[in-house]
Amino acid sequence: MATTTATLSLTSNDILSNSLSLTKSMTLYKGGTTSTALEQMHYHRAIIPTGTNFDLIAESAALADNSNYVYIVNKNTDVTDYVTISINSEIIGKLYGEDFLFMPWNCDLSAAANDSSIEIQAYTHDCTIEYALFHVGETLVTAADS
Amino acid sequence: MATTTALISLSSDIGDSMLSLSNRTVLTTAGTDTGVTKTTGLSRIETSATDNVILFDSGESTSTAGTNAITSGKLYIQNLNDRGDGTKYVTLLLGTVEIGRLYGGDFAFIPWSGGAGNDLEITPSSTTDTTLEYVMFYE
Repeated sequence: MATTTATLSLTSNDILSNSLSLTKSMTLYKGGTTSTALEQMHYHRAIIPTGTNFDLIAESAALADNSNYVYIVNKNTDVTDYVTISINSEIIGKLYGEDFLFMPWNCDLSAAANDSSIEIQAYTHDCTIEYALFHVGETLVTAADS
Repeated sequence: MATTTALISLSSDIGDSMLSLSNRTVLTTAGTDTGVTKTTGLSRIETSATDNVILFDSGESTSTAGTNAITSGKLYIQNLNDRGDGTKYVTLLLGTVEIGRLYGGDFAFIPWSGGAGNDLEITPSSTTDTTLEYVMFYE
């Protein structure tokens, strides 16, 4: 069984009058289980051109209604370059150069087609992003010539 | 200007070779290298509701942006419950759009643009008391 661990630390000495220091670690499990870790992943690097909202991670039956975790980082170094991350055309937020996110993602097939896919659009300049998806499964496509 | 740093690391033996990712970012205002200077501070809530609970109100539920009308934020949220039998979770929503599920012990760190209709809400999956901690950094 694979063990995947995510650790996040947030620190600041001056945003409050007292220092702020948070650290949290979690193991990435399958939903509905107590000890079965996620055993599948994708790790990609892509250049997102400006002008179009793309499906970064498309929904599929194999991913539905369970635990999936997404990590996305904008590798651009110009702080004015950003990507929007959205689901069903609702923008969650913007990742400027060097920003990252880590979040659970529930692929929900109950409503309109493609409405739970994770979407991305680049602004200002093309953005190089890296993302990892730790997931419960994928829908494999039968080879057309099989 | 305040300096607030977020550091993430992901490690796994999921593949034949060890996976080890890490990244560090300073939380800044939109499109600048100026550190954010505002935060909600760390909040802790307990709820046994299975209805939607609004964490940050951008007008989805109230039609007008509430007191938490924040734009360009970065949210950390954690489900403090034990994992239990692994079937209980909190759904994290953007208005009516489901983002994902925080099972006991899970956390998320996401940017949040706010704006009309994009309330940040949670919905526990059961009436079991759920304890959450969250903090928002914003402009």
